[in-house]
Amino acid sequence: MAALSQAPAEAPRANEVKERRARARRSLAGALSALGFFALWKIGSMAIGKEIILPPPEKIASILLGLVATSRFWEALGATFLRGLAAFGLSALAGAAAGFAAGTRPLVGAALAPLLTVIRATPVLALVLLALLWFPSGFVPIFSAFLMAFPVMATSAAEGARAADPRLQEMADLFRVPRRARFAKLRLPAAAPHLLSGARSALGLSWKVVVAGEVLSQPIRALGTGMQEARAMLETGTVFAYAAASILLCGATEWIFGRLAGRAARHGL
Amino acid sequence: MAYELREARASYDGTPVLDGIGLSVEPGRILVVLGPSGCGKSTLLHVIAGLKEMDSGERLGFAGKRFSYAFQEPRLLPWLRARDNAAFALSGVMGKAEAERRVDALLEAAGLEEAARLLPRQMSGGMRQRLSLVRAFAYPSDLLLLDEAFQAVDLPTKLELMDVFLRLWKEEKRTVICVTHDIEEAVYLADDILVLSERPARRIGGFRVSAPREGRELGSGSSLEDESRLYGLILGKGPAPGR
Repeated sequence: MAALSQAPAEAPRANEVKERRARARRSLAGALSALGFFALWKIGSMAIGKEIILPPPEKIASILLGLVATSRFWEALGATFLRGLAAFGLSALAGAAAGFAAGTRPLVGAALAPLLTVIRATPVLALVLLALLWFPSGFVPIFSAFLMAFPVMATSAAEGARAADPRLQEMADLFRVPRRARFAKLRLPAAAPHLLSGARSALGLSWKVVVAGEVLSQPIRALGTGMQEARAMLETGTVFAYAAASILLCGATEWIFGRLAGRAARHGL
Repeated sequence: MAYELREARASYDGTPVLDGIGLSVEPGRILVVLGPSGCGKSTLLHVIAGLKEMDSGERLGFAGKRFSYAFQEPRLLPWLRARDNAAFALSGVMGKAEAERRVDALLEAAGLEEAARLLPRQMSGGMRQRLSLVRAFAYPSDLLLLDEAFQAVDLPTKLELMDVFLRLWKEEKRTVICVTHDIEEAVYLADDILVLSERPARRIGGFRVSAPREGRELGSGSSLEDESRLYGLILGKGPAPGR
C-alpha cells in the first residue's frame, strides 16, 4: 500500500532525472564536437605550416584578446550590432506584416510571390554592389540584410497565418468575435511557432549579410571593415579573429532570442 | 413568438442536403432534431443560424437573433486558460470585466471553478466539453444550438455532461435546438422531438415528449413510451403525429 501511494510522487522525479541525464549527454556531445573541430583545425594548421594560410586556433584567441582590449574594436562591434539589429527589426516587422497579409488574402499572396522569388534568387553580392551605388556606406549592409531576410520572414509568416485551425476559426465566426480579438487571441498565437522560427532564421541571415555588406562597403566603424583591412595587410589571423567576433555576436543574439522565445511560449504566446 | 423554419431546402454544389424541412420551437423549450449520421443536421443548424443560404424556404423569427453554439468537439484555444477561453467568445458583445463575471458564475454552476486557470491540455475530455457548454451559456444568445455536443465522450462523462447542461439550462430556460443521432439522449433532453430521414434530410415526423422532465432517468424505463414512438417513426411502423 505504501509502495503504491509513493508511486505517483516518484514518477515525475524519475522523469526529471531522466531528462537531466539526457540534457547532460547532449551537452557532452556538443562539447566533444567543438573539441574535435578545434583539434582538426590545429592538425590542419600544423600540416600546412603557414600561418598566413591557416593560423592555429590559439593564435586566433590571442589576437582576439588583443583586439578586445582596444576601443576601436568595441566601436566596430557596437556599430555592426546596431546595423544587424536594425536590419533584423525591419525585416521581421515588414516580413511579418506582408506574410500575414499574403497568408490571409490569396490576392496579396499572388502579388507578393514573384517579388519574393526574385529577392530570394538575387545573389547577396549583386545586391550589395547595387546598394553601394544607391546608399551611403553605413546604410548598405542594413539595406542588403533587410532585403535578404525579408522573404524568409514573409514566407514563415504566411505559413503561420494559414496555421490556425479552421474549426477554431469557424467557432470565432459563429460567436461573431471581433477582428481585433480574433487576431490577438487566435491567429497570432497559432502563427507564433512559424513566426519565431522565421525570425530566428532571419536573425542569423541578417548578421551574415550585414558583415558581408560591411566588407564591401567599408563604413568607418564595422567588423567587416576590420576584416577587409586585415585581409589587405595579409593578417590572416586578424581576419579569423574578426570572423570569430561576428560568430560570437550572432551566437549571443540567437541565444538571447531563444530565451525570449521560450519565455513567450511559456506565457501562452 | 415561436422560431420557425418552413420548407427549407439547401444543397452543396448542386447536391441536395435538406429537402423541404419544416420545424418550430417555442421560446424556452428544447427541440431535439434526431437523424442518422451525415444526414445534414449540421447544415440545418447553419441554415437556422443564417450561416448557410437556403435554396428556398422561410426563416421566421430568427432575424436579428443571437446564437451560441456547442460542438461535438470542444473547440477551445489551446493557449488560453479556461476562463479566458469562455470569455473569448464574449469579446464582441460585452466588456472584459462583465464577461469574466459572467463566465465565473457559470464555471461555478458547472463545477469548474477550480479549473478556471487551467489550460485545455491540463483538463480531462469531460471538463473541456463542460467548458464548451459554459461558453455557449455565457454568450448572451436568444438560441443555443448544440451540434452533437454529447457524442465525443464516454458514457459516464456523457451522462454527467447532459446533467450539467440541464442544470445550466434550468437557470434561464434558453431556447435550444440540439441535433443528435442518439435516441436516449433525445428523449432525455427534449421537450419536442423532430425526426429526419437520411440525406437529403426530410422530416419523417415529430412529437412533444410526454414524460415529465423531473421524472426522467436514463436506463430506468421512464421514457419508454417516447422511445417506442421514436422507434416507430424511424422504422416507419408507428403513426407520425405532426405538430
